[in-house]
Amino acid sequence: MPEPTAAVSADAEPSGAATEGDATAKFRVHIAGPIEAVWAEITRTDAPILAFFNSRMHANRLAPGARLAMRTANGRYTGVVGEIVEFEPPRRFAHTFRFTAYDDPECTVVYDLEEQAGGTLFTLTIRDLPAGTKTAKQMVQGGKMITSTLKSVIETGRAPFGIRLLYLFFDLMAPATPKRSRSEHWPID
Amino acid sequence: MTPEQVDATFAALAHPVRRRVLDLLSGRPGMIVGAVASHFDISRIAVMKHLATLEDAELVLSEKVGRERRLYMNPMPIQQIYDRWTNQLSGFWASRMADIKESVERRSEEKKHA
Repeated sequence: MPEPTAAVSADAEPSGAATEGDATAKFRVHIAGPIEAVWAEITRTDAPILAFFNSRMHANRLAPGARLAMRTANGRYTGVVGEIVEFEPPRRFAHTFRFTAYDDPECTVVYDLEEQAGGTLFTLTIRDLPAGTKTAKQMVQGGKMITSTLKSVIETGRAPFGIRLLYLFFDLMAPATPKRSRSEHWPID
Repeated sequence: MTPEQVDATFAALAHPVRRRVLDLLSGRPGMIVGAVASHFDISRIAVMKHLATLEDAELVLSEKVGRERRLYMNPMPIQQIYDRWTNQLSGFWASRMADIKESVERRSEEKKHA
């Protein structure tokens, strides 16, 4: 939808790092649910996390310095590995993040929770997105999906229908997962 | 999304300067206020008022880093409005249609300038 930009001088390109912006993406929603429920959902290790592409979080302990892996429900494949950077219940959980399928540099994901009247303000921040990589593209798409699915899971108890269909598709496509993502290649000990 | 949040989102989007701010921030997240203001032929105070409207609607989030206030576009209010009226199937075909439209229009522009 092209539109006139009469009030805009888009050609001027001032210099300086702050002008260039940074490699960060942010996603924020209000969730009509208690902060404890949101925290429990994003840190659970006893079942797949619907908001995290139905993967199950594995970690030896939930504390800074611990390695973590996001594996398929059957444990066969590992999509993401990282290290916990901050773990401050129920307000902040941060970890480094790397897709096992790519050789891209890792980025950092930060989940911030803030108690509000009627619910929780949830903010997902992704820092150090490696420019021009598949990781950056997927994280920006994934950020929207994680945030809206988490809201749905807390408010309705289930992921939206389209997301559930997508997870069925993921299960069907599991045999096509690259061999390098098999969990034996990504121990967390 | 409450009716008030929906109203705030549409009101914030109903101005060309504010839409242009979102264009800038989606392309270069983390810009500071001064850098955003330098793209407009209006006063910095006017730009800051537009930014305040965008922040009230949560389309723009800010973060203090040292002495700077960095600005980021939050896509979620638009995503929630999209989700309200679009399901997975119509979203898929609408996206394909938009791709075709963009591709045809780009090619016709290229021909014009060739």
